[in-house]
Amino acid sequence: MRNKRLLTVIGLLLIGSMLLAACGGGATPAPAAPAATEAPAATEPPAATEAPAAEPTATEEAMAEPTATEEAMAEPTEEVAAEPEATLTAEEQAAVASAAAAEAMAAAEASGKTAIRWFVGLGTGTDPQQIEAQQAVVDAFNASQDQIQLVLEVVPYDAGRDTLATQIASGAGPDIIGPVGWGGSNAFYGQWLDLTQYIEDTGFDTSVFDPALVDSYQTEEGQVGLPFAVFPAATYYIPAMFDEVGLEYPPQNYGDKYMLDGEEVDWNWDTFTEVAKRMTIDVNGFNSTEDGFDPTQIVQVGYSPQWQTHPNYVSSYVAGSADIVDGDAKGSYSVNMPDSWKEAVQWAYDGMYGDQPWMATGPMSGAPEFGNGNLFNTGHAAMAVTPLWYTCCLGDLRDSGTEFQAGILPMGADGVVHGRVDADTFRVWKGTKHPAEAFAVLSYLITDGGDTLLPNYGALPAIPDKQEAFFAKKSEDYPFITPETWEVFKAGLSYPDAPSAEQWQPNWNEAWAREQTFWDLIQNTAPDALDFDAEWQKMIDDLNVIYNK
Amino acid sequence: MFQELNRGTPALPTPRAYRELTPLKRREMREGLLFISPWLIGFLVFTLLPILASLAFSFMNMKITDGILSPPKFVGLDNYIQMAKDPQIWSIGGGTRGSLWITVLFGAISLPVGLMLPLFIALLMNSRHLKGKMAFRSAFYMPYIIPFVAAVFLWGGMLNPESGWINRALVAVGVPRDMTPNWANDVNWVYPTYVIMGIWAIGNAMLIFLAGLQGVPTDLYDAAKVDGANGWHSFWKITFPMISPVIFYNLVLGVVFLFQYFTVPLVVNQGTGRPGGATMFFNLYLYKTFFTFQNMSYGAAMAWLLFFLILVVTIILFRTARHWVYYAGDGKS
Repeated sequence: MRNKRLLTVIGLLLIGSMLLAACGGGATPAPAAPAATEAPAATEPPAATEAPAAEPTATEEAMAEPTATEEAMAEPTEEVAAEPEATLTAEEQAAVASAAAAEAMAAAEASGKTAIRWFVGLGTGTDPQQIEAQQAVVDAFNASQDQIQLVLEVVPYDAGRDTLATQIASGAGPDIIGPVGWGGSNAFYGQWLDLTQYIEDTGFDTSVFDPALVDSYQTEEGQVGLPFAVFPAATYYIPAMFDEVGLEYPPQNYGDKYMLDGEEVDWNWDTFTEVAKRMTIDVNGFNSTEDGFDPTQIVQVGYSPQWQTHPNYVSSYVAGSADIVDGDAKGSYSVNMPDSWKEAVQWAYDGMYGDQPWMATGPMSGAPEFGNGNLFNTGHAAMAVTPLWYTCCLGDLRDSGTEFQAGILPMGADGVVHGRVDADTFRVWKGTKHPAEAFAVLSYLITDGGDTLLPNYGALPAIPDKQEAFFAKKSEDYPFITPETWEVFKAGLSYPDAPSAEQWQPNWNEAWAREQTFWDLIQNTAPDALDFDAEWQKMIDDLNVIYNK
Repeated sequence: MFQELNRGTPALPTPRAYRELTPLKRREMREGLLFISPWLIGFLVFTLLPILASLAFSFMNMKITDGILSPPKFVGLDNYIQMAKDPQIWSIGGGTRGSLWITVLFGAISLPVGLMLPLFIALLMNSRHLKGKMAFRSAFYMPYIIPFVAAVFLWGGMLNPESGWINRALVAVGVPRDMTPNWANDVNWVYPTYVIMGIWAIGNAMLIFLAGLQGVPTDLYDAAKVDGANGWHSFWKITFPMISPVIFYNLVLGVVFLFQYFTVPLVVNQGTGRPGGATMFFNLYLYKTFFTFQNMSYGAAMAWLLFFLILVVTIILFRTARHWVYYAGDGKS
């Protein structure tokens, strides 16, 4: 009898647990990408500088490369998401878009024009409002002449890379691709047309751009792009937090000193670290340098390396950009990351797990109260270093009544400022049957078409004459931002990362993924469970293999 | 056995034999081929051809984005040689382990749970003391009917470190909030998390165990009872040997499933290998090599490695089976 009761109770308990499993908490989806580098909200637009290929999902990619588009764009996104098209998967939507484009191409060719297909889906440009603007540009271009018929093909960001890869593999690649950033371009390295001949043939005036920006598109395959949209980096900060602890704001002119404890000091990463520590506060109000500070109950961090999802970013900022690939052919490639890169990442690791932390660990920054990775936007970080596109994603901060400004980037140990300039542009596919016509379209998109496109992409024009309009628009979004802050961003254009932190590496997609895995590991693993040196070496060893696959 | 079965199966005749057939036989044969042709064509085009193609790809340097710009070249065993020294597959130690080791490590936790728990529940369900057996059986089997991806999302919600009711319950019973597990986001907790999610789908294994248990002759237990055997002896000396073929069957299926483990890390951690590369299972790495890293040839070589690994492990299991699996009808173990 007792056995019978016991069995019944155990059975009921088991079934009860199953029912609880079925009913409880299900409304909340699995933590979308756990790490500190989690994506911004789903409403945020896709990346301006396309996401690393290693991250196939929408959320991750959006996270890795937050978009340059404006906060305002998020609103229409939600509305349109409810339309019937949203019931299709990204791949299905891509198939529909491709079929429609193919039909339009056939019609254009039947009319005797040269059909040029413009593929959008590797970065920003997939929001309804942006699609509308792009279509307006297409219509304007088509109306401007009678030789070329431009056809727009917009593929959802989630399916963009796979769709493009499939098209290229089948020999049916588009003529123009973009906007696409460094990472997305490197994911399709070797596929871009050298524009040199067409620049010369058409007399395209490249002097409207900063020569350094033009050069940044020069590879061993030639001039494979031209500048279009740029995103210089700066130190974002929340003045109120500095006021609260009585610290000076970060300087706003490159070359200026910082006043710390009554002394003028360089605004370098050492100073930055000290300031960050003093602005990392626990639940009891102690900062990271004070006795009694509880690192398990941090309520505010001094620094958020916002969307620096790879060691490459951290190291580029702190130690300076470097050409990290040696060799010139499969079998000869090797990693050439300087020691200073490793030291920079170690510095960041100490910031998370050291005795006096000043950065959020992976679990902390991945928590909802810290914005699921979009930490600075929650008002729980005093400073963030990230490019201009981050102004896309600070609506929550603004709406909470918190103002932010931007200061200069700290200088490295070598006394030099190591900045970053992200960039989006359009590329011409090397396999296009109509390269001259494709170049004509590209010229239009980055000049006249850019007047319509850039505001919709939320991107700073690479052509200096057009930049004021951009900042005027930004000032409408963030009325509290001072002109000095915008000047900081402009000055940041003089500190590009060359080569880019997202520079080409052999088998870029896999290499980039491996580097992110390393960053994710150190973000999420405390020193008692991590041998930093060994893990760094393991990453290097893995990269050496990946490079030569 | 198969030879005996095949003995009664007519093979396709030679051309000469075909000519010697009566018109009726010829017609029957043509119609037979016609009726089987949909499956045959489907098999050839969608199964056999891709298998052969993947074998051919594995000896080439094909990358999808090379497309028409760079036709694939024959590279012999290069991909296999490269794979043999790929630390992302084989590496054992440290925080970022190789995908194969990750798979094996996870299997060391998930396989015992995946076998013992359904067996335990099946034993409960088979108890003559239990009332409402049908209801319990249905209830335990029911989750198996739920699409697995949906179930994974559901578990993800429950195990959400912040909003999931499991952590909330832990806090409610006094566990400090900062001590609650970070589940799928923590390198130390992610495997237990996946195992817990896997428990959802034990209904099928439980049912198979139950069928096995019900096939054990009750007179064996009666005889054991007369001989003074207690419950444990009865289980170990009678139940276990008698259901060992069922255990073996579930074990083989479990091993095959383990090597093909894919959906959970893809859905829960978006296939990124997070946290810290801990969920880059072999099959997921294979998938990413194909479709994200766009290295079709290397991915094809990995697929063939996976095939051989499963084959070898299965053969080993079958070899060991003769020592512990009891087939009552064979008169031998």
